[in-house]
Amino acid sequence: MDFVFRNKRISGILTILPKKAVKFEDEMANYNFSPAKCMKLKLAMGYSEHRIAEEGQCSSDFCKYGLQYLFDNGLLKAEDIDALLFVSQSPDYYMPPTSNILHGQFGLKHDCLCMDINQGCAGFELGLIQSFMLLEQPAINKVVLMNADVLSPKVSAQDRNSKPLIGDAASITIVEKSNDDSTIYANIKMDGTGAFALNIPAGGFRLPSTPETAVMEQDAAGNFRSKDNLVMQGDDVFNFVQREVPPMIEHLFEQSGIDRNSVDWYMFHQPNKFMLNKLADKLGVPREKMPANIVENFGNASGVTVPTCISYNLGDQLVNGEMNLCVAGFGVGLTWSSIYMKVGNLMFNQIIEF
Amino acid sequence: MEELIAKLAEILEVEVVDVNKKFSDYEEWDSLSALSVLAMLDSDYHIQMKNTDIAGYDNIEAFCKDVLAR
Repeated sequence: MDFVFRNKRISGILTILPKKAVKFEDEMANYNFSPAKCMKLKLAMGYSEHRIAEEGQCSSDFCKYGLQYLFDNGLLKAEDIDALLFVSQSPDYYMPPTSNILHGQFGLKHDCLCMDINQGCAGFELGLIQSFMLLEQPAINKVVLMNADVLSPKVSAQDRNSKPLIGDAASITIVEKSNDDSTIYANIKMDGTGAFALNIPAGGFRLPSTPETAVMEQDAAGNFRSKDNLVMQGDDVFNFVQREVPPMIEHLFEQSGIDRNSVDWYMFHQPNKFMLNKLADKLGVPREKMPANIVENFGNASGVTVPTCISYNLGDQLVNGEMNLCVAGFGVGLTWSSIYMKVGNLMFNQIIEF
Repeated sequence: MEELIAKLAEILEVEVVDVNKKFSDYEEWDSLSALSVLAMLDSDYHIQMKNTDIAGYDNIEAFCKDVLAR
């Protein structure tokens, strides 16, 4: 499904990371893998260090800290927020929506649309598309898009598929109306037949958490996890990404008619270095134009990886200038989405720690 | 066939692949080498397989024949 937007822009990106950094080597002993094989895994996937929330810290706590930082530094005015979006798979409660909780904590105006969206690795793209759609309304001039996930507590310590790469983080992206009428091209696709390629079996209404769902079981590859844990079908996800993402990006170029040489950076979701390098090669994109350094430095925090990648790799370059970005996300759902847009002259583009 | 077997030898870290053996007979065979095979099939042969497909072949020869027949 294709989308076209005009007169909208990103005006700031703030990434909020946990202070606690955990090294791959410190968790190796938990895996059913020899030290030599663990080191091979580390090298192939680009694992090194990941940021993990402290026990009790929820994804909304990182959003709250980030919003307070923006208010305190005069980068955002509470009264200007017309919509508050919270894209996450780790909400505080089933009810109420986490966006409403944050709305109340800051005493935001009643003329404000709060919305929680359950999305993962394509959550930044889906959130941007939703923000642009809201901005078509006369009443909405500024959207605060929060991507946040603290999923590390859901990943088994003995799961070498997911544990070494998981990261916790949040990002706040300000999206607003603009006089610049350069076109934003976007697309999104879904395939619900792959809905369980990434999932947490227990803990929802279908299968509530019980002592039975907490029992650890071994899979064919020697990983131990319970039904309360996140599980990823690694082969299905790898095949899905390699099959669907390159044609999606080709389609984005056809749809927009833009010359691919005009793309300054490919800011893609960060599953691991192996997958990103394969994608770059398949797309014929120089690897240095598609940064793959977020998992090794911070971990994969699903929908937060693209803003983190932009903040970490481009920082002030996007405050002092403008660039054409191709952003893409792909994962749980299955969902895959890409956007081509000009980003720049930002008020802020930085990483803070909480 | 030789080219494919050479690629498997590299992944399995052996000089010579015995095509009568199963992947799981090799010491290097694990989730990481399985992913390397998936990635090689995808990039070099434009074929996608699941881990369970690969584990299902009676031996490496059967796997190779199937890959080359597609």
